[in-house]
Amino acid sequence: MEKIAFHAITKQFPGSNKPAVDAVTFAVPEGTTCMLVGTSGSGKTTLLRMVNRLIEPTSGEIIIDGKNVLEENPIQLRRHIGYVIQQVGLFPHLNIAENIRVTAEIAGGWTKQRLAARVDELLDLVGLPPAEYRKRFPRQLSGGQQQRVGLARALATDPAVLLMDEPFGALDAITRARMQDELLRIQRDVHKTILFVSHDIEEAFKLGNMIAVLNEGQLMQLGTPVDLLANPANEFVRRLVGADSILRQLEYLPVIDALDNEPEAVSSAHWGDIPIIASDATLLTAMLKLLETNAPALAVQDKDTQETLGYITLASINSEITKARSKVSSREQTRI
Amino acid sequence: MHYILQSYNYNLSDPESIPNLFLKHLTLVGIIMLISLIIAIPVGLLVARYRRLYLPVVGISDVLYTIPSIAAFAFLIPITGLTPATAIIPMVLFNQLVLIRNTAAAVNGIDPLLIEVGQAMGMKPQQVLFRVTLPLALPVIVAGIRIATVTTVGIAALAALVGQSDLGDLIFQNLAVFDPDAIAAGAILTAFFAIVADLLLLSLQIGLNRGRSALSVE
Repeated sequence: MEKIAFHAITKQFPGSNKPAVDAVTFAVPEGTTCMLVGTSGSGKTTLLRMVNRLIEPTSGEIIIDGKNVLEENPIQLRRHIGYVIQQVGLFPHLNIAENIRVTAEIAGGWTKQRLAARVDELLDLVGLPPAEYRKRFPRQLSGGQQQRVGLARALATDPAVLLMDEPFGALDAITRARMQDELLRIQRDVHKTILFVSHDIEEAFKLGNMIAVLNEGQLMQLGTPVDLLANPANEFVRRLVGADSILRQLEYLPVIDALDNEPEAVSSAHWGDIPIIASDATLLTAMLKLLETNAPALAVQDKDTQETLGYITLASINSEITKARSKVSSREQTRI
Repeated sequence: MHYILQSYNYNLSDPESIPNLFLKHLTLVGIIMLISLIIAIPVGLLVARYRRLYLPVVGISDVLYTIPSIAAFAFLIPITGLTPATAIIPMVLFNQLVLIRNTAAAVNGIDPLLIEVGQAMGMKPQQVLFRVTLPLALPVIVAGIRIATVTTVGIAALAALVGQSDLGDLIFQNLAVFDPDAIAAGAILTAFFAIVADLLLLSLQIGLNRGRSALSVE
């Protein structure tokens, strides 16, 4: 079910000769985390800010739940879309509870008790014990904690759509990784449709089930991380996602594809006791396990049935990688 | 000092007793500050929003500020006589510079990001004004009010010269007969009034700095 759809959405700022966003068209299914990636100036933030009309499009349509946002009252529209920005933007004169409540208060229809309960619920969700953090002020919190509050605030009205503009960009690497894990955990609970702007491809791969690559205002490619790696649409995408890197390929190719076709009887007798790896693991995990255990092979076991599906050896990994890379070079040959 | 301690000076039925003079001074200052704020705060908000207006408006208030109050009082006597208006009008105009400038500075000092965050939540313009702009601007605005109040208290004492009865009476009416006690009493009480007003408004300013460090003016 399409939650958000962009139809030839364009933004041309007065005084510039190129559009910032150029006829971008794609759709985001409900419950997806769609990453908008690209270099600086690619139009990803402009595109995001047109969804809640902080920037008005020059032409085109943005449809949310079947309704064109350009025909709705912008103020009403924004009350049901969550917005999280890099600098967080908590109100310094309000304490944490009041900061979280404000979106719900603006949207209306909440009693005081429900607001208080909601604040506690959200603080728990983002991993901040309510009793400790409710009465504190933003300046008493670290950057990571502030951004958790920012996320709680955006979720207060239980919006169906969440817009996130490089929310973890100002955090240190460790906190950023932790916050990304938190977001994954929270998303497993709440299943929001998220549009997430990032210039970090690693973050995009980690958080997104769908990635839209933008360059100079145009949509280059839309797809899952594996799609982009296996079939990059052009040179820009290939370089952005590092499709040529063996490490990348190992990270995304599943072990199921690289099973060695040895008859079972020969294998177990031949190798003795060998370590087990789950069927949903990637080739990278398999390689690391082989290195770690110095075993000649790994037995791939189905996660649910525990039956052995086949075996992985260094040789079988190598042949899978070679296959993947030859696909790339044959594409290059046909281009010439 | 003597004068302040003499109990006959506290007879409430005597219009020239200390409590009555104090009350009249307080009323005069109160009226002047109220009218000053009713004019200055909206003008300050306007001038912060429409930057082109800033220089002309502040320029005019600056000129009004430069005119010595006592000259302004004298100038108005032929027009408004010895009524309270003679004292109130010049003082209200005098206060505009500080109050408008502080209000405009307060509003302009707010991080525009916070305004945008408010808008992104779906706040109507009035909601942005009352939930974000004014609360954040209030400490600096109150700082301006403090300055204006203290100077008003002092200059209001001069209003005694144009028929307004207040603590200034103790000074000016006793200059001719030369009662040093009374004169000193008038001076001390006026100064005391100014200091107390300043401290009360300072504690208000600090109290408004919820969540920020006590004396930060942001």
